[in-house]
Amino acid sequence: MLKNIIKAGSVIICALLLQRTSFAAETVELPTEELATESVLPVFDVPVSVKNRNIVTEKRWNTDLLYSYSMTEPIANVSKFGLAVYYNFSEDSALGFLFAKNASGLSSYADQLRSQYSLDFSRAPQPLSTYMVDYNIKAFYGKMSLAKSIVLNTSMHGSLAGGITQYSHKSFPVIALGVGQKFYINKAWALRFDMRLYAGQAPIPFLNGFMRTTDPTPPVASQFDERITFSTSLDAGLSYLF
Amino acid sequence: MRNIIKLFTIASFLFSQTGLAQKKAQVLSPRGKKTNAQTKGAPSGSSSKSQLKAALEMVNNGQYEGAANAFFSLSRKPELQEEKPQIKYMLGNMLIRLKLYQTAAFQFVDVIRLNHPKYSKLAITKLAVVADVLGDDTILNYAISRVDVNDIPVENRDMIHYRLGEIRNRNHEFDKAIELFQRISPASSYYYQAQYSKALAELEANHPDQAIATLNKMIEARGHASITDTNKVEAQLALGRAYYQKKSWEESVEAYSKVPRDTLMWHDAVFEQSWAMLRAARFRSVLSNFQSLHSAYYEKFYMPESLLLRAIVYLYICKYDEMEKVLDLFETTYGPMRAKVRDFLHNSNDAMSAYSQVNLAYMQLKGLEGKPNLQVPYIALKYVLDQGDVKRSIRYLDKLVQEKNRIEGSSSLRASSVGQYALKIILNRSSNTKMSIGEMARTHLEAMNADLRDLYEQSGFIRYEMINGRKENVKKKMAGKDIVENQIDEKMNRQFYVQNGYEYYPFQGEYWLDEIGNYHYLGKQSCE
Repeated sequence: MLKNIIKAGSVIICALLLQRTSFAAETVELPTEELATESVLPVFDVPVSVKNRNIVTEKRWNTDLLYSYSMTEPIANVSKFGLAVYYNFSEDSALGFLFAKNASGLSSYADQLRSQYSLDFSRAPQPLSTYMVDYNIKAFYGKMSLAKSIVLNTSMHGSLAGGITQYSHKSFPVIALGVGQKFYINKAWALRFDMRLYAGQAPIPFLNGFMRTTDPTPPVASQFDERITFSTSLDAGLSYLF
Repeated sequence: MRNIIKLFTIASFLFSQTGLAQKKAQVLSPRGKKTNAQTKGAPSGSSSKSQLKAALEMVNNGQYEGAANAFFSLSRKPELQEEKPQIKYMLGNMLIRLKLYQTAAFQFVDVIRLNHPKYSKLAITKLAVVADVLGDDTILNYAISRVDVNDIPVENRDMIHYRLGEIRNRNHEFDKAIELFQRISPASSYYYQAQYSKALAELEANHPDQAIATLNKMIEARGHASITDTNKVEAQLALGRAYYQKKSWEESVEAYSKVPRDTLMWHDAVFEQSWAMLRAARFRSVLSNFQSLHSAYYEKFYMPESLLLRAIVYLYICKYDEMEKVLDLFETTYGPMRAKVRDFLHNSNDAMSAYSQVNLAYMQLKGLEGKPNLQVPYIALKYVLDQGDVKRSIRYLDKLVQEKNRIEGSSSLRASSVGQYALKIILNRSSNTKMSIGEMARTHLEAMNADLRDLYEQSGFIRYEMINGRKENVKKKMAGKDIVENQIDEKMNRQFYVQNGYEYYPFQGEYWLDEIGNYHYLGKQSCE
């Protein structure tokens, strides 16, 4: 016990000493009149925020592999895996096709309902896959520095998508509105994150008298009511720029 | 103002009608039955009189367009030859009211040529005012060269002094120019321009201390103005130049650094500051500036000298590899440009073809045309467009276009005889101005061609020095005296920069607008 305390104490003292040493940087003598004193931008005939950009997307294709987590889905499995292909018309816009396959099974909440209340939601129609055409407006291109040798270029975009969600018995129209951010690891690879709000027609997975495990007759998919539902998802993926 | 014109018009026509009455009296004099016959047979005098009355009435009613038409037709009547100066003068005034300044200027020039004891002097004043609005140096010089300042109304005297000072300045009569600029009162709208021009004249006369005092006074007087106030910023830039002329390099660097970044003058300030830094032997600072000046933001700027200057700095600090890159860049950028400029000058001798190139570049600059097919490189034409004389002439041409649009925008004016007359004048002036812009452009391109030829020669010498330096380095290496080429930032992490209060990003070839002007060269010299 005492040995451990001494060990921990020495580690902490060493860490503190090392930290002090690392902060004791020498002073750079740059003439004061050369240091930035203004936060304003220089004036050019045609003001452009960046020149000679590292990430050039115009007239290029990119493909994305993504995992999508549905944050508000109560019954169906919350995970989707997808593939998207985009064509970048300019540095400001891109149009792509997105396919996502839903993971099988139910959400943990649905499993809980089954174990506690004998409600079997696997009797309800489940979403199988999503096909969408996705339009992206690339609003902000920037960069961030995390360490001396790492500078990540970033790109923020808005997205508007429309398509269908395929259920076991039927397809339903769906639209999605979202915002996303890409972090470029290098000139080709990027991490992509999107948050989307979906609105689409979908079957309601509740049908009185048919959902309990004890109910003798399983329901037919067409028996379920349909209505517009909203859900939000968080996507994370990897993007490659050709 | 409107009332003044009305009063003046009435007064003028009282005189005018007296003139007509005198004429009529002469006609009715006992010397001739012949004159009676003339009166009966040719009632044009009374008709003209009624037309004049009608024109006067229109002026009083604010119907300037109608009045201008009436005066225009009266000015062509041979029987009103004596009244012609007055009529022309009034026509000029009506045209000013219609904002047809160029056409008005022609009327005043006519009045001046008629050499009328009263109206010619009045016309000179008016012409100077109109020429000032148009920014037409030719007319202005014509008017100013005939002016007697004592005849000019007090309210216009400052303008005349200022313009006279400018003419003296152009003629290299700097002391006379300074004296004229000094006469302008601090309350005048020309005061700061005059102070600035005075400082320039003092610099031209090689009195940098006086110029520094004038510019400091001007900056102080504009202390209340915004940071980007043109007068203040121009004065600050001129202060940097004055210190440079005085060979006070550090003061010059400091003065240049005070030019605000969000003004167009800042680009010149950075470049000129680099020269001052070089003279002060602040090589690292010069290279910091060049990182901005040679960024992609300046790819359309004509700056061959800056590349050679950068190469010279690299020579001083024995960075031969960088030096070679810069010299290669100079040759790849300005070699083809020089060839194209030379070919253009050789193949097209007329001014209009030079004008058409300048015009295409101007359209491109204003975003009115995408990427026109230019015979002369855009960088060269942009440089020509930035020259003061070309700028002034283009501004004048724009004024003519506005005037033409004003006429064509009004169906009644366009259809009227005065409108047609004005269109002819504008067409003629436009054509002459285009021709003179073309000539100016050719002159600038010829100067550029000669300039590039000289710079190419210098580039050859610098390259020779580079090879020589490399040779010496190799000798030292062979003798085991070579130094290790460590860069200052090699052993420092980001924390170092953050702690010292600087943002730090490794440069990866991408230029950001907010970083321009903030680059710092952190290399060190490689000389032993």
